[in-house]
Amino acid sequence: MKNKNKKGLYLPVDAKINDVVDLTPDVKLYKLRKPRSFVYSPGQFVMASLWGAGEVPISITSTSEIHQDIELCIRKAGFVTSALHRLKPGDSIGIRGPLGNRFPFEDAYGQDVLFIAGGIGIAPLRSLINLVIEKRKNFGKIALIYGSKTPTEVLFMPETQNWKENGIDLTLTIDVECKEWACSFGLVTEHINRQSISFESGYAFICGPHVMINAAMHDLSLLGMPAEHIITTIEAHMKCGVGKCGHCYSDGRYVCTDGPVFSYAEIREFGIASP
Amino acid sequence: MKNEFVLSRTNLPYWLRQLRKKADLIGPSRSLNGDIIFSSIVNIHEMILDCPASIPSPKEFLFPQKEEMYKFSQKGVRNLNDKTKRIIFGVRSCDISAIALLDRFYGGLLEDDFYMSRRRNTCFISITCNNPDPTCFCSGLGTGPVLKTGFDLQLTDLGDRYLVQAGSREGLRMINGFRHLFLLPEKADYDDQYEVLLSSQSIFEKRITLENVRQKILDGKVTDSFWESVACRCFECGGCVYECPLCTCFNVIDWKEKDNKGTRLRLWDTCMFKGFTKMAGNVLPAGKKIMRTRRWYFHKLIHYPEQFGRFGCVGCGRCTITCPGRIDMATIANKLD
Repeated sequence: MKNKNKKGLYLPVDAKINDVVDLTPDVKLYKLRKPRSFVYSPGQFVMASLWGAGEVPISITSTSEIHQDIELCIRKAGFVTSALHRLKPGDSIGIRGPLGNRFPFEDAYGQDVLFIAGGIGIAPLRSLINLVIEKRKNFGKIALIYGSKTPTEVLFMPETQNWKENGIDLTLTIDVECKEWACSFGLVTEHINRQSISFESGYAFICGPHVMINAAMHDLSLLGMPAEHIITTIEAHMKCGVGKCGHCYSDGRYVCTDGPVFSYAEIREFGIASP
Repeated sequence: MKNEFVLSRTNLPYWLRQLRKKADLIGPSRSLNGDIIFSSIVNIHEMILDCPASIPSPKEFLFPQKEEMYKFSQKGVRNLNDKTKRIIFGVRSCDISAIALLDRFYGGLLEDDFYMSRRRNTCFISITCNNPDPTCFCSGLGTGPVLKTGFDLQLTDLGDRYLVQAGSREGLRMINGFRHLFLLPEKADYDDQYEVLLSSQSIFEKRITLENVRQKILDGKVTDSFWESVACRCFECGGCVYECPLCTCFNVIDWKEKDNKGTRLRLWDTCMFKGFTKMAGNVLPAGKKIMRTRRWYFHKLIHYPEQFGRFGCVGCGRCTITCPGRIDMATIANKLD
């Protein structure tokens, strides 16, 4: 990775907000006008910056082959994201990036693919899911298990139905049973062994809370999936995004420059983000 | 091209006064409370050249404890790259070795422009250590007391004169304007330098090579219970990190004034603090103290050599001076060796 911003490593570029979509009460989708020479791949992220508030790492949820804009899915979780939530179309967000590595999806050509998402973990995976649908004939069976806490927290609901029509075996699940939900119940890990994909040769792409990622990776490996085929993208506290500030440093690896996409094999070898 | 000279002791103040005309001259002096600090030198005779290690290390002139990065307002954003010309005089060999490694860390493909703009405008004149502190162990690591590269100029105190070695073009430039002050060295000067080196080597109280420690860790001979015993002595004060010439972590904050004006700052941060890795939802990847203390040692002993081929420790002994729990690098290395 090379720094392309000649004005400096830490100077964000302004990107105008074309549209803001309320996905749930505390999650908004921002569609930003793509700055020139911004070329990205699924799995990469940007540092979203607001002068006076600060910077936070946010994964890109759009797919460059399909979407005109850069789309960021932002949950109101702290000081900076609360400030970002106050922005309206026409305002600008500073972005630095794209940063980090990408999902090695070419490795999965000809194989079955299982996506496992928990909560807002669907955001980075959405970028890849849309690309996989675009290149549908390169892959075998495709399945998605997407778990949320409650029905109101399900993101991209209309789009998931669209994915289903495009031949994705979709399992939408809610943690606790409730009446207004017509799909499955229980944690995502309870649904893994019900999938009809080939675990021995298939690939899995996982994103969600730490606990879910660890449990899902462990279960998949017990089902016979090779550790190199279990791929996840992890979250970390970051201040710079370019391997200098040290906040995401874990056992010799920087999540921002060596990741955020890691295989289970790497995570086990280096002990990355395994509390 | 000659790059070794002899400077008479009586000519040193004059030479420094001339250099000061073109750049801010920084050197070690004693602060009011007795610490050795690097600061702008007003009176050249106040500089102390046979002093103990400065606290903090001279890394603060390249990577300051608090650095203003950008000023922002309604009108736009201004980059605050520091381009002040500085000459830092009397830097120890261990600190020069640390800066050589910092250059590689902050440089490279992802170049930190704030560090590099300071670095390109700073010259270092180092001094061969002739009285190492009881806490020093650079001789075992090859990062001192005398250096072959890394400095712009290196001075060795030979009593009534200094042997001056130039290690870069900037170093030669500082001599070339004042060639009438510098003589060419003779055999006796080199002999005296060797004497200084030998006597300096004999003063070192600690003989530590970190290679054995690294090998033991890699072989899995260092148990979790050992790191537990280290962690339980850690006060989480962050002193080791702040004083270490090779610790590079920072935090970025926005300081907002009225009318949407403000400054984006970066400040030293330390991985010893519990909140260092805290994420949204209060997830703490390094929540236990043992993880944080072990990570600091692993970074310096295992990962620095993997990435740069050098230890993340130059044996300056500052953590030994600072650590209230006596779990500094030298103590741990002695225990594991």
